[in-house]
Amino acid sequence: MNEVSEDKPLWLPPQSVLIIALIVGMISFSPYAFVPFHVTGQALLLYIVIRGFCYWPPMVQWIKSMPVFHRRMFALLVGGMIVGHYTLDSRTFYPYVSWFIFPTVREEDPVTCRQFIATTASGKKVRLLVEQLFPSIVQIYPLDDPKHYPDKLTGDLARSLAAAYNKQHPGDPVRGVDFVVMAVDLHPPASASPTKPSCQLLKRYDFSSDR
Amino acid sequence: MPVAQTLRLLIGPLVLLHEQAGPRLLRLTRLGLFALWFFKLCLDPLWRLADLPRALFQPIGILSLLPQGGIDTLLQPGSLTVFLFVTLIVLALGMTNKAFPVVSTLAAILLTAYSCLIRGFGPAVHTDTVALLAIYVLAGFAWADHFQMKFGTEKKSPGAWSSYPLVTIVALLCLSYALVGYSRFIRGGLPVFIGDTMEVWAIDASLRGYYFNTGIGWHIPDWPFVVFMLKAGLPAITFFEMTSPLCLISSHYRWIFIPVMLSFHFLSLVFMNIFFFDDMLLYLLLVDWSRRYPTLRRPPE
Repeated sequence: MNEVSEDKPLWLPPQSVLIIALIVGMISFSPYAFVPFHVTGQALLLYIVIRGFCYWPPMVQWIKSMPVFHRRMFALLVGGMIVGHYTLDSRTFYPYVSWFIFPTVREEDPVTCRQFIATTASGKKVRLLVEQLFPSIVQIYPLDDPKHYPDKLTGDLARSLAAAYNKQHPGDPVRGVDFVVMAVDLHPPASASPTKPSCQLLKRYDFSSDR
Repeated sequence: MPVAQTLRLLIGPLVLLHEQAGPRLLRLTRLGLFALWFFKLCLDPLWRLADLPRALFQPIGILSLLPQGGIDTLLQPGSLTVFLFVTLIVLALGMTNKAFPVVSTLAAILLTAYSCLIRGFGPAVHTDTVALLAIYVLAGFAWADHFQMKFGTEKKSPGAWSSYPLVTIVALLCLSYALVGYSRFIRGGLPVFIGDTMEVWAIDASLRGYYFNTGIGWHIPDWPFVVFMLKAGLPAITFFEMTSPLCLISSHYRWIFIPVMLSFHFLSLVFMNIFFFDDMLLYLLLVDWSRRYPTLRRPPE
């Protein structure tokens, strides 16, 4: 199973990879830079992995043993995922998406977040979360983003959240919703008491007249 | 040479995962994946989406092919309930293994529409995307089996075909991690790993809160050990993500990968309210069951 292949892999010593890395450098870092490095760099890493598998005898044997329809299906499914990643788009071809999680530098301080805080008839303060009141939704866009939340939509969303809360708590309905921005200092002074997010009111929605 | 021997011992045997898998293991995988989706959808009050403002919905994927009127009709409570009910019936049929190519294809289409629907209200997050692709794999290989039986000329035993979808699902799971790792490594570069990035992401996710809302993450600035853990953990996790394709061939690597990544997913839940429940269930396929249990092996040809 683990014997070394008779064909000497071209990537060990990594001559061909070095040549490809050079090409990547020329493509992405030349004065023209017509393909960004975040595309070519990832392609290079992926190429190294795929190439490694291509030279591993059990994998070659497994692929060769596949009947033709299965081999095409395997290529289609794996290839589809790779092509989907290189569309650099997570919406148009879902589930063939671009895979990135925490890919960019974030250094903002303080870290802020907009939220809806409801006040119920009994005076209780409740945070209204879309993902909890509408559990189908995995995640909404951050409420800080004006591109996704024009002023009217923010008000409509607050009303929908209050209505959804009221359906679950008819005895203690929402009277109003505060749209607030919370902030946490990334580097609080050493003498400061334990971190508690600061809270600033942005807008107040009154739903006391709603049924 | 002691160094080479030690290395060989550490790396362990290199054997393709699920190479010996038989039809029973494939049936169990089909049952497990369809049951996972069935269970998820049973818990989902999909009809409530009709109460959200329509302007919040931006169609993605196949739903963007629907005309505006079609989207409006779909986002009615009645339509959403019918859609959910039909999908549940198809998923239940999929668990019976009857007419699997047709049923699994229907399931793949309905689950794609479902996944696009729930993501239309926000970003196209990656949660359960691999679980959806796994249904594609099961459907695709069921059709490949069908066509090969009908038109194929090779005399190979169908017993050997059971390993193909299983290896492909694991390959897609590993590829999803690897692409995330490459993307972070290349796009973010060194600054992602040495600055406050991970701390900011964690506090941001914790403040925002999702379905799970532990409310712990925004205390992170008060806990130097957690800050250190996040900063040290990001390069370590990225390394495991980038090398995840090794899961396909190395059992020793898998036994390190599984606990490390499970701990990472649990800590993501605690500090960031993010839970990759589906991926964690797919980790069951990182165990080479057919080598452990002869009944799950393919019959000798």
